[in-house]
Amino acid sequence: MSEVVDRWVERLKGKLPPIGTMTHWERMAAAFDLKPMDMPAVAPELDYWQITYAGYSHQEIYNDADKCTDACIRTWADLRTDAIWMYIDISHQIENFIPAEARPKYFVHRGSKDYLLFKPLAKTLDEAIALYENRTFEKYLGDSRAVTHYHPHMLQLLEFQEKMDRVVPVIVGAASPSNYAETIVEVQQFVRWTITQPRKLKHYLDLALEERLKALDYYADAAYGNGCRFFGLFGGARTWGPRQLREFGYADQKYVEKAAKIFPYLFWHICGHNLPEAMQDLTCWPLKAVQYDMPYYSQKLSYREWFESVARLFAGKRCAMNAPTTQLACHGTPGEVRAMVRDFVDATTPHTTAVVMPGCEIDAFTPVENVKAMIEAARERRL
Amino acid sequence: MDKLAELSEALLQLDGEGAARLIGESLEAGIPAARILSEGLSSGMRKVGEQFREGVIYMPEVLVACDIYYSGLEKLRPLIQPGENRQARGRMILGTIHGDIHTVGKDVAVPVFEAAGYDVIDLGVDVADEKIVEAIREHRPDLVGLGTYMTSTFMHTRETVKAIEAAGLRGQVKIICGGPSVDAGAAKRMGADDASDDAWEAVGKLDRLMDELKAQGRTV
Ligand code: B12
Ligand SMILES: [Zn+2]
Repeated sequence: MSEVVDRWVERLKGKLPPIGTMTHWERMAAAFDLKPMDMPAVAPELDYWQITYAGYSHQEIYNDADKCTDACIRTWADLRTDAIWMYIDISHQIENFIPAEARPKYFVHRGSKDYLLFKPLAKTLDEAIALYENRTFEKYLGDSRAVTHYHPHMLQLLEFQEKMDRVVPVIVGAASPSNYAETIVEVQQFVRWTITQPRKLKHYLDLALEERLKALDYYADAAYGNGCRFFGLFGGARTWGPRQLREFGYADQKYVEKAAKIFPYLFWHICGHNLPEAMQDLTCWPLKAVQYDMPYYSQKLSYREWFESVARLFAGKRCAMNAPTTQLACHGTPGEVRAMVRDFVDATTPHTTAVVMPGCEIDAFTPVENVKAMIEAARERRL
Repeated sequence: MDKLAELSEALLQLDGEGAARLIGESLEAGIPAARILSEGLSSGMRKVGEQFREGVIYMPEVLVACDIYYSGLEKLRPLIQPGENRQARGRMILGTIHGDIHTVGKDVAVPVFEAAGYDVIDLGVDVADEKIVEAIREHRPDLVGLGTYMTSTFMHTRETVKAIEAAGLRGQVKIICGGPSVDAGAAKRMGADDASDDAWEAVGKLDRLMDELKAQGRTV
């Protein structure tokens, strides 16, 4: 039972004007199930942005789950997007690998809108392997922000979802094995080692996979058990080439296979420049939707052509989630944002369902008018 | 194939040992270090760039090629005679802007600029504005490269430029931002001179900025 949730439920339940002929939940579910929808769904990943939109600074919510939850719900109540993303930062992911007294050294918080800075946990592959083999992540879990912050915030939002009778889904997010393995040592080292130390790296990745598969038991219990159905997986592997996908892609695939047995609405987040081979792989894993991003450097495609090529690839298989790019959302005009949303919807919906959702989280400096333009542009389209 | 072409090819094949051996053999054969660098290693780095942009090789291969380039450079640098020194096209300091820890882009951009003939001083990641100002005073570069990999940190460009202005150093340098989310127009509005999301393309921009500096009468 959470006071902040009850306050919002009392204020909102039964009092919100309908949007379209479906509820937010129904619209997202239809998108994921590739069923007819009244209009494209729109569910930008607002995590840092919604904090400042709601009037808090990033520092202020860092240790205060109530304020964090308040920010998410307040923003949703104003903007009425089709999903509420829980707030996540990298400290939730790796603090449990670090003893409490050493944590301040690893995380740096600066301006009120700045991202959390973090330092890698291991310099060599041997150090990284030892972190897993010594089960460091279990030792320091109890007082880490995964437990003290992420967990209560997730439960609060799910409580809101359930008390609102599932008019709007809450998206719970978790990092994949490749994401963990890369974050701990830094991406640039990880990708080098795919070439220089492939065998040892595989062992390391297997350890990360093992930890992640176990973490899914937690999610089955705490997330699914409390009503979560929409589950987003943050992939690493975003600077990999086809060879790396072939040799090391198995870890994320196994993770997806287990998650799909728990969550009916499972999607993958692949930000950055997306390799066509990676997009191809994602159509073979048991996912319902893919939040994708920009075309790979070597593809000389316009955004419209890129949207269309992905939609064709996903036809009958996956829901496509994109647009506008995070940089256009931040630097562009509302007119440009609208145009890109329209391009995405028009290029996608002849082939598959569309959710308007930039490929990564909205930057904290993104102007409110641009977020509103994105939502309005989606709402204006009728399917 | 001559030795230098072989060296260039070894880099492309990610053959670190081969590259080290060929550098040794080239030196023994009396080829000047500066030529080994420009016609062997640097020419290899240019081909790496071409293959990356054509989708023949990918980021992991590029990074390993960069490592091989660096270990070769380390060996050759002390051997380059002042007289035979390739005339550096310009000197650049480059660091990831404060608040940003993305490294991969910088790790690629630095050797690409080096291979194109720039002397690049790598300031690392999450570099405070004061450190950039200090580095301008210390190294007297022509160009300041800011690695700005996120929209929010790209927006810090304005503050960094202001700090350089406040130190009275703005007239001496050209400032260019780099990263996947940069926008040249926005960079100029924030007081920088240009921006690029592609290191190989950026070389042309660096050259243009150097010409502008010369035209302004700044001796380089
Ligand atoms: C790998 C990655 C990470 C890794 C970084 C590992 C590391 N040590 O570098 C990790 C997981 C740690 C990470 C963290 C975060 N990331 Co990140 N990351 C990426 C990703 C997928 C790839 C970056 C990369 O390596 N690219 C390959 C290199 C070679 O390309 P590049 O950086 O563009 O560099 C090229 C050119 O730009 C140029 N260049 C580079 N430097 C310079 C400098 C100069 C002067 C010039 C002229 C040219 C130049 O040369 C290079 C070769 O052409 C990008 C997406 C993308 N497409 O880039 C997101 C991305 C940069 N990240 C993003 C975000 C949001 C984050 C986080 C905030 C996520 C979070 N919630 O915690 C944190 C921020 C941490 C922080 N405070 O810095 C966003 C930024 C969004 C935005 N527009 O603001 C991006 C763009 C993803 C997206 N599409 O939304 N990230
Ligand atoms: Zn992302």
